[in-house]
Formats: sequence, structure tokens, C-alpha cells
Amino acid sequence: MSEGALPKQDPVLRVDDLQKSFGGLAATDHATFGVERGTITGLIGPNGAGKSTLFNLISGFYEPDGGTVEVNGTDVTGMEPYQVADHGLIRTFQTPRKLEGMTVREAMLVGPRKQPGESFLTLFASPGSVSESESANLAEAERILEEFEIDHLATQPATDISGGQMKLVELARAMLAEPEVLLLDEPVAGVNPTLAKKLKDQIRRLNEQGTTFLLIEHDMEFVMDLADPIVVLDQGHVLTEGTPEGVRNDDRVIDAYLGGGT
Amino acid sequence: MSLLDDPRATFADLTRPEGWVLGVSVAFALFLLVAMLTGALGPTYFLFLVGLAGMYALLSFGLNAQWGFTGLINFSVAAFFGIGAYGSALMTASSSPIAGGFNPLVGLVVALVVALVLALLIGIPTLRLRTDYLAIASLGLAEVVRLVVLNERWLTNGSAGVRGIPGFFQGWPVLSTFPEAMPGLRLVVIPGSPIILGTSFWQSLLNVLLVLAFAGVTFFVLRRAHQSPWGRVLRTIRSDEDLARALGKNTYSFKMQSFILGSLIMALAGVFYTHLNLYVGPGDLDPITTFYAWVAVILGGSGSNRGALFGGIVIVTIREGTRFLNDVALPIDPAPMRLLLIGVVIVAVMRYRPQGVLPPQRELIWPSAVDGRATPETPDSGVRERKGGGGDE
Ligand SMILES: Nc1ncnc2c1ncn2[C@@H]1O[C@H](COP(=O)(O)OP(=O)(O)O)[C@@H](O)[C@H]1O
Ligand SMILES: [Mg+2]
Repeated sequence: MSEGALPKQDPVLRVDDLQKSFGGLAATDHATFGVERGTITGLIGPNGAGKSTLFNLISGFYEPDGGTVEVNGTDVTGMEPYQVADHGLIRTFQTPRKLEGMTVREAMLVGPRKQPGESFLTLFASPGSVSESESANLAEAERILEEFEIDHLATQPATDISGGQMKLVELARAMLAEPEVLLLDEPVAGVNPTLAKKLKDQIRRLNEQGTTFLLIEHDMEFVMDLADPIVVLDQGHVLTEGTPEGVRNDDRVIDAYLGGGT
Repeated sequence: MSLLDDPRATFADLTRPEGWVLGVSVAFALFLLVAMLTGALGPTYFLFLVGLAGMYALLSFGLNAQWGFTGLINFSVAAFFGIGAYGSALMTASSSPIAGGFNPLVGLVVALVVALVLALLIGIPTLRLRTDYLAIASLGLAEVVRLVVLNERWLTNGSAGVRGIPGFFQGWPVLSTFPEAMPGLRLVVIPGSPIILGTSFWQSLLNVLLVLAFAGVTFFVLRRAHQSPWGRVLRTIRSDEDLARALGKNTYSFKMQSFILGSLIMALAGVFYTHLNLYVGPGDLDPITTFYAWVAVILGGSGSNRGALFGGIVIVTIREGTRFLNDVALPIDPAPMRLLLIGVVIVAVMRYRPQGVLPPQRELIWPSAVDGRATPETPDSGVRERKGGGGDE
């Protein structure tokens, strides 16, 4: 067991001895850690440390070579991403995903899970229930856009907004899926400082309202300010886990950043 | 808002390409009407053309439900069309080597069931993989189906094809005898060239009503589906399947539904063709049908049901127009002329309007949910067009 695995009282996510290699490269090397419910947990590490790979393993996009992933106490190892999402875990991607041909609010409406209108038969058998949930979802989407102060973008083409606004929309859309734990891969990469601050405030606010976050971030100031605890990944395994203070002053972490990855 | 409630607002609401297409369509319809009244175009032949246009529209609808909605690349349009055509022909024809003689409704159901099974057979192994796998597998499937039809004589009559197919309304009350029961009419619009409406005219009229019903219902179903959360998931898959997966959508299931839906519509086109043409042969499974359907969808604007309808009509115009030109004006073989024209159309569309003539113009949200809310102003160009259509439109 790696040193990073601090005991958790009520973990919403548990990763145990997870392994994944690509050819000869061990991208995830016996990684073990947990995410305590209600926290904003940071995941940092040098470039190529395997952070995104870990996200892909947890969310079901990659099949692990060994180890287990538990969400809310259920073993989700080897499940399809949609099944993992059903257990309350939603993830975003490092590069913003564009929805060609949709307006912002249309793109937002992809977020809610288990919409009655996602069943083909219901469209014809019970159009009333589709209208009802669609109206409710649309109202909810507009409410969240307002909270994020981007409601003026609602009817813009989703591909016409800035990279930073796209990150905000992604976060807003992920919230519509009502996750218990939300995994964000570099939410402020390439985002200007004003929008980054906005994103930080939003993440904090959503966290106070009950969503647990696990976020990868390169911007040290951002992550140290927002997250606690912080898990440090190096060459696929968990180097250490601790408070921002503790991590900042840990020699091994400094060595990893200076010597390793980049 | 519908045309009936407020016609002026409906017209003011049209985007420019919509206005153009509407104008050209009206002009074309008038042209055909004049041609018919002057006797240059026989009314029965005209109705046959309308039937053909309906058939191509159905094929384009089917492909649009796969490629336009979800981004599924299906190169076996002709195979599903052929399954529909042969399925109903073999069930209903007097010369059928197997069952034969059933009511055309039985033929319809059997054809759709066979198409469903075939869609599952090819969808199950390929739809979990990247889109290219379906493309390759469907290319093979088209050829396999064609060769089976050509060679399994005990089942399909082989190269002789199937004859003795009844009209679709055979055995129905009233409708089965409707063409004979109707009186022959003789209309004189221009003195000296009377228009004669006999039994074959009424027969064709029935066929046209049939294809209008098929295409109308299909259009209605597809439009509702496209505006729904179901359609939104398909559009998300087309744009970025991983995003849909991350948001908890079972993309394999959605892709399968889209593939089956499209395949059934293609088979429906085949069923109609059987009872229009009253003969089917292995030549009806030639890949040219697949090619036409793709041209129609790309020309009309991928993802747009109206575009698919428009594309289907253009295909029939080119197909039959070249034949007409050959008969009347230019002594050029229609087959190469047709391909030349289609080539010119494709080049022109790719050069000047890569997103197609009528790509989806407006937001697609379940209509009753947006009523009374702020809608985006789309006078000049659609949501999809502001970006110049994007690479894959
Ligand atoms: N799909 C893949 N195929 C091959 N190698 C991969 C793949 N995904 C990631 N890797 C490799 O795994 C290592 C970790 O990558 P990644 O998880 O993206 O790092 P990080 O997000 O921490 O920067 C890198 O060396 C990367 O090249
Ligand atoms: Mg990464």
C-alpha cells in the first residue's frame, strides 16, 4: 500500500492498487487513494504523471490491468462509463469538448441523466411527460447559467464562445447530471484569470451545496487555494497525500516536480 | 407557430436558404404542372415520378437518421432497400419460389422484421467500435446480400427476379378495385391534346397516396425524434461520443436504435418500390442506390429531414430528367450524363455550401418546452452555419 492512502471515514470514491500500462510504460502504477465525501480533493503531479489516465480508469473509459475502483461503496471496476455515471460519478475532459451545431442551452440539456425523452417510445407514447421534464430541465439549465453569470450566452452557438466560457459551460452541464462526485481535469487550463476566479468561486459554492470534487490542476496557486487534501501523483503512483501546506513543503514533491516528468 | 395560424410571420421567419428552396420548388412544381397541362408530361408518368421521389425521400430519411443524426456511416443502403423489396415481393408474388400469395401487409411486416434482424446482425459486432468499422462491415454486407439474391435461386429466383407482384392494396376492401371502378376521364385543357385519365392513372394515384403516407409518417416521426432529448443524445454522439458517455449515456444502445430506425425506413422504401414497379431483380440491389442516398443527404444537408426530402427530389429530377433530355433534345446516353450532373452538383455543393442546401436551421429543443421563451434570432443563417458548417457537415 502506498503512503498516500490516508484513512477515510466516508469515501465517495476509493481507488485501490490500480494499474494500467501502455506497452512497457506503467502509466498507473499501483495507485491507491480515496476521496472523502464533501471535500474538494486536488490531484497534482508533473506532466505525464498519469493523472488523466487515472481519471480514465476511474470513469470507465480505460479498463484497468489490476486493482479496483469503488464509487459510493459499489465496485465499479470494468463497468462502462454510463454505468459509473449511474453510480454518481461524472467527469470532464482536459480539452473542452465542442458540440457542433448546438446552442449553449441545447448543449447544457445533454447533461440531465435519465430524461424521459431519451426513450424513443416515450416520445410517442407519452409526449406530455417529455414536455414536462424538458421544461423543467430547460428552466434548471437557465438557472445554472444565470448563477454562472453566462446566461447571455444561452442561445449562442456552443462552438462560438471562448475557451474559458466553454469550461464554465462544461462545469455547468456536469452539474445538471447531479453528480455526487465530479472529476474535473484541468478546469482552468488556458482560462483567463477573471474567468478562473469565477470558476473557483463556482466550484467552492457547489461544494458547499454538497458536491464532492476531485480536480486535476496544473495551476498550483489555484489548486492550493481551493483543494484540501491534495494527492500527489508521480510516475503513476501516489507519492503523498496531505494538506496544501504539507504538500508544498514536502521534499519528495519538490523533487518530483524538479527531477521527474517534464 | 404554424403556417395556418400566421402565414405572414411564418414566411418572415424563413432563413434565406429556406426561402430559396421554397421559391425554386414552387417554380419547379409550376413547370411540371404546365408540362402536364400541355400534354408534354403524361399524368400517369408524372405520378410515377412522384412515387419515385417519395421512395428516394424515404431512403434519404433512413440514411439521415443514421448519418445525419448520429454520424453512423452506412454503405449498405441498397442492401436494406433490397431486403425490403425482396421481402415483400417473395411474400406476395404469384411467382415467388417460397411463400407467395400473402397479403401485402404481411409482406410489409416480414420485410421490416428481416431488415431488423439484419441491422442487429451488423450492428451488434460493429457499433461498440469506432465508426469506421460499421462503414467497412456495411460495405461488405451490401455485396453479400446482392450475391445471395443473385445466386440462391431456390429462395429468390436468382437473376430472373420476381414477377407477378400485386399492388399494395390488393385484397383491401374498396381500394383493391378502386382503379377499375373509377371512370376514365378525358380533360381538354389545350384543344387538340386531351389528357386521358384511365385505370393506370388511378392505380398510380393510389401508389402516390401510399408513398405520401409512408414518407409523411416517417417525416413526422423523425422530426419529433430529432427535436427530442433522444435526438439530442444522437447529435452529441455525432459530435463527440466520449462526451455523451461521460455524461452517463449508453451510447451503444443509442447508436443501435438510430441504426435500426434508419434501416427500417430504407426497407420501407424497398417495400414501396416492389409494389410500384411490380417486379424486382438483383439489379435493384446495385450500389448506385446507396450512392444516390448519400448524395441526397449530403446535398440536402446532413442532419436535416427537410434537406433529405429535398435531396431525394433532386436525385429523381436528375435521374429522370436526363432520360427525358435524351428522348427530346440531346442524343446523349443518360447514364453517363446522370453521373456527370451529379458530379457537378457535388462539386458545387462542396465548393459553395459544404453544409448542404438546407442544414438544420434552428435550435432543436422539444417545442412545447421553449414556447414563450426567448428564441435566438435566426433570420439570415442557421445555428449550424455561422461557423461555415464545420468540417463534417
Ligand atoms: N492512450 C494512451 N496510449 C498510450 N500512452 C498513453 C495513453 N494515455 C496516456 N499515455 C501515457 O501515459 C502517461 C501518463 O499520461 P497522462 O495520464 O495523460 O498524464 P498527465 O495527465 O498526468 O499529464 C504519459 O506518458 C502518456 O504518454
Ligand atoms: Mg492530463
